[in-house]
Parts: sequence; structure tokens; C-alpha cells
Amino acid sequence: LASLRMKLYPLYQLGNPQLRIFRPNWFLTLVRPGKEQPPDTVQFRIPMEMTKYDVKNYLEKIYNVPVGDIRTRIQYGSNKKRNHLNQRVKQPDYKVAYVQLAQGQTFTFPNIFPEKDRAPAEGSLEEMQEKFMEDEKQRQKLDPRRGGVTEWFGL
Amino acid sequence: MAASSAAGRVLTLCRQLQNVCRISSTSHFVNVTKGQNPVYRGMSPLVSLSWCSSLGQCRALHTTTSRRGLEEFFDHPNNWGETNVKSGAPWSAKQLRAKSSEDLHKLWYVLLKEKNMLLTIEQEAKRQRVQMPSPERIRKIERSMFRLETVVSERETALRLLQTGQTKGRPGAWRRNTFGYVYWYRFKEYAIPWYMNRRYKRKKFYTPKFVQPYIRLRIEKYIREKARKENLKKKAQAKLKERFPDMKVSSS
Repeated sequence: LASLRMKLYPLYQLGNPQLRIFRPNWFLTLVRPGKEQPPDTVQFRIPMEMTKYDVKNYLEKIYNVPVGDIRTRIQYGSNKKRNHLNQRVKQPDYKVAYVQLAQGQTFTFPNIFPEKDRAPAEGSLEEMQEKFMEDEKQRQKLDPRRGGVTEWFGL
Repeated sequence: MAASSAAGRVLTLCRQLQNVCRISSTSHFVNVTKGQNPVYRGMSPLVSLSWCSSLGQCRALHTTTSRRGLEEFFDHPNNWGETNVKSGAPWSAKQLRAKSSEDLHKLWYVLLKEKNMLLTIEQEAKRQRVQMPSPERIRKIERSMFRLETVVSERETALRLLQTGQTKGRPGAWRRNTFGYVYWYRFKEYAIPWYMNRRYKRKKFYTPKFVQPYIRLRIEKYIREKARKENLKKKAQAKLKERFPDMKVSSS
């Protein structure tokens, strides 16, 4: 996706906004904070070339989220791993933005993978398999009238 | 127990009514607290229309501005915990060419939000070490965006050709470097004029006179290499011919 790359970060010129983009190709990832954050703080992974002001404008203009304050840092991707030639393998770096919401808003990361009881669909392969296994188990059970005496004993 | 459930039903009804009111008044502000989840409680058909997957046709029907804020980074709560989520085909270039420029730009933002949502889900799935539901959606979105970009650039090129006759969006010129190579130099923005720019002036866009013999040598080297390879090939062919006189001669 070469053409989707941002061409050049424009030079500073008088007057705001600095970036006048028609089709932004910056993608934010909302992540669950690893360390405990205040309830009004949201953590994002953002592209390297994005600045605090870009994040603010992005969230306010595209998502209509009132933004109070933004702090960013760059996370060093680990290069501890080694490959089969014993060379270091670098994980890519990324930028992290901590966005504080304005107007007393709070945000907690929801559990988006809740446990759901999955009943297999009617007539599907899984259901037939399950049924078969249950039948087999029933068949393998010992006769309750024998009172736990092994099969090979007796007439 | 029965009384309490009846009370609860009345409460939810009230909430639904409230939500309908909230949606109809656009100026109202929705709080983004997960605890009470005000938006998701009562789903009016008005909202559910805009809920459809961006890839479907139903997004063409635009109702009101979405006021979900940060909730847009997540999928619809009905899809939470599902193993696979249904989605349509990516937009084809043919479909996109039929759209107006304004629609294309609107669609870009829809796709952008969808992709952000999918990236968020992907990251969370990685973190929790579970499988992401329907990961093929990311690829679909990427394809749609790529095609949209192509269509828009096509239009830009057509307009530029009509207005200015320039084939390239970014102007440039053929320039020569110190070693005598000719290449396409793409112009870029500078904050100061070129004669004040010391770094720019340090660059050499010409070939000094004393480089001429080396250019000649370089060309000579290239030609010799080429001739050597051809000769080798010819020799090999001759040898083969000698050994197998009835062999067919390959054209290349």
C-alpha cells in the first residue's frame, strides 16, 4: 500500500491548522492501558509521525471526542529476541498517546471478548460430533446392576 | 420478584423513550461512560440503520451525525464474543468510480473509523491471546481504501492534465549528479529561497569536467561486460552444435 503512505509532512506556515488533509491515512489503535490510568485517560497507539496536535485534531474532528490534554511517548520495541542465526530481531517501535478527556468524561476499556455459551448450530458437524461422543460415553458405561464388579468376573 | 421485574420493564421502557428523545435532539451530548451504557440500552431503528457494516450498501443512507465518540473504536456490542462476524465484499474500483467526490471522501472516513475499530479489536485479541473474530475484514478495508485512493488520484490526474497539462502531481526535473548519472529530481518545499539555503547549495547538480573520462570508462566497462556475456553464450552454443549436430538452435 505504497500510495496510502503520507507523502511529506508539510513545512510550517503561518496560520492554523498546520495540516490540511483531505483523506488522512493515520490509524489509531485504542489499547487497554498496561498500567493503571486515571479514569479520564485513554491510551492510544499512534503512528510515529503524528504529533500531539494532530491527535487532538483527529479525535475532535473525526470522532467528536472533547480532548483535554495529550501526552505522548515512544515505546522502544524490544530487540532482545534472536533468530536462528543468533542475530538480533527488532520489534518495531511505536508511539503511545495518553489522551485526557475534557468535560468530565470517563472511559474504561470494555471487555470485548466476553464468554458466550456457544450452542453449536443445528445439523452442523460439531453438533453431530458432540452427540456421537455422548452416545459412545453412554455405551462404555458399566452395567449399574453389577455394582461395580468388573466385566471379566462372573458368568 | 415479579413486582421487581415489572418495575425493571417499566424502567427500560422509560429509558428507551429517553433514548429516542436523545437521538432526535442532535445538540444533546452523550456521555462516554461504560458503567451505564446510555446509548446501547434502547436501540431505535434510526440508530440501527447506521449500525450496518460499512461495507454494505446501507451506509449510503445517512441519518444523523454519529455521537458515539470513543465507542466507535469498538464493534457493535452484539458482536462481542462472537467467533465470526459477517461482512460484505470490499468496494470495487468500478463501484467507486460511479460515486461523486464528496461521497468518496465521506466513505473514506467511514472506512477509516472501521479500520481503527478493527485494529483495536486485533490488538485486544493479541493481548488476551484469543482469536480475532473475522480477521479478513482488515484486508477488505485495506483493499477498499487502496481502491478509493486510486480512483481519487485518477480524477486528480485527469483534472491536472486538463488544467495544466502536467502528468505528475509533484513537479520535478531531469538533473545530473556528480557522477554523470541523469535522474528525475522531485522538487520539494523549502522554508527559505534556494540561494539562502546552504544545505541545498552544497548539493551538486552538475558533472565536473574531470569526471568525463571516468564516465567513458564506465560505459566501456558496461559494454565489455555485455560483449563478454554474448561471446560466452555464442561459444557455448557452438560447442553444443559441434557435439549434437542435429540440435535445434534456440531463438534466444
